[in-house]
Amino acid sequence: MLIRRSASSRWYSTTTALSWRGFSRRFSAILFIGMAIFLLALSRAQPEATASLRAHALDVLAPFLDIVARPALVVEGVGAAVHDLASLRADNGRLREENAHLIEWQNAVVLLEKENQELRSLLNFKTEPRFSYISARVIADTGGAYTRGLIVTAGKADGVREGMAAITGEGLIGRVIEAGTWSSRVWLISDLNSRIPVTIAETGDRAILAGDNSSQPKLLFLARDASVREGAHVVTSGHGGVFPPNLPIGILKETSRGSFAVVPMADLGRVTYVRLVDFDLEGGAFNPIETKLRAEGKKK
Amino acid sequence: MDAWWQRLDGGLRAAMPSATALFLALLGVSAWPLPHLGPVMPPLAFIALFYWAAHRPDLFPPIVAFFLGLLNDFINGGPLGLSALLFTVAHQIIWRQRGLFAGHSFFILWLGFALAAALLMLAQWVLMGLLTWQPAPPVPILVQTILAILLFPLPCWIFIQLQRTVLSSNE
Repeated sequence: MLIRRSASSRWYSTTTALSWRGFSRRFSAILFIGMAIFLLALSRAQPEATASLRAHALDVLAPFLDIVARPALVVEGVGAAVHDLASLRADNGRLREENAHLIEWQNAVVLLEKENQELRSLLNFKTEPRFSYISARVIADTGGAYTRGLIVTAGKADGVREGMAAITGEGLIGRVIEAGTWSSRVWLISDLNSRIPVTIAETGDRAILAGDNSSQPKLLFLARDASVREGAHVVTSGHGGVFPPNLPIGILKETSRGSFAVVPMADLGRVTYVRLVDFDLEGGAFNPIETKLRAEGKKK
Repeated sequence: MDAWWQRLDGGLRAAMPSATALFLALLGVSAWPLPHLGPVMPPLAFIALFYWAAHRPDLFPPIVAFFLGLLNDFINGGPLGLSALLFTVAHQIIWRQRGLFAGHSFFILWLGFALAAALLMLAQWVLMGLLTWQPAPPVPILVQTILAILLFPLPCWIFIQLQRTVLSSNE
């Protein structure tokens, strides 16, 4: 009798504990669902309010992403080292030859640059703004099915600003959309939201390069009488002041009659290092709020 | 002193399910040496969410699902709160239906996951389309879902081992 009672009372206490736990669980779930909806509404209604939150979160997450990305980097490094060792001797000979060649070129460039400067000063030519580069390592490839992006290890502390062009040795890959203190987010040219004014290098025709989440962004608004052909080079036009002009992007490819896609020079699925191009054109900020503030500051 | 150590030990063990989910979330966006994996990377963190919500909901409460989703949003740069919402709702549904999969055969668990993953991806696709007024191409999402379902047994096996070893004492 005694045993039965104690067993039943234990049963009673566990069920109440469970239902209380269930209640609090359900309540907290409703609370968090509410919070998520609130955040979603806030980020839609006031993107600026969540932008700084995003940038700070990026800074907090970057070291963790960096740690997780390290082993992959090591694997890649070891592979590259083995490959390098194997081709050391051949490379050495080739580089010596190339070096001798380059020294000749260097002499020529010095002479030409001097001549160029003299001629420019004769013509009173206004030079293009000079670029400086910030190098950064890719620590995360955030390209899901909806966005195409990268997180890189350079931020405001290194001089990164929103709107900077991100390039590799081959060409343009995207632009900085969010800059934290130590890390930033780059949206690739293949992202659904990417729209870049471009020029066809051979003919000078203008168009807009529009990302569609595929690996080959589309060319939009090409003039109907444009005489472009497959294989032509696509470069930034510099219109809109977001990017400097003449950054190489890719090669034209005809997808169907009269419509073109661009095969990027850089392999967007395999980027380990990027260079962020710092150039300062008048009013050339991507951030519309900053541009407005700058314009207002000038009026005063 | 002994009690303190015991509490620390218990706390670390209890944090294990959340830690595995966090690790998988970071691993999913890590810069992998395999090229072109990014667009079709399956939602790894959701595998952890599904397993732990079904097996140890006491150690994987809604708050973990919420923050896991939020982390996903921060990393991916999508609409803030979308994954947080989806993960919390998914957690709630899995938790309520956990009697269906927990303790049954692995095949049933796998089937449950396949259904949950498909529903999650569909909901995400629809909401994303509504938010951006631009339907995303469905093929990568389909591939993501299939990859997640095919990959499920591997993390699941690891979770089962972890549950047996690390969590055996506070079952």
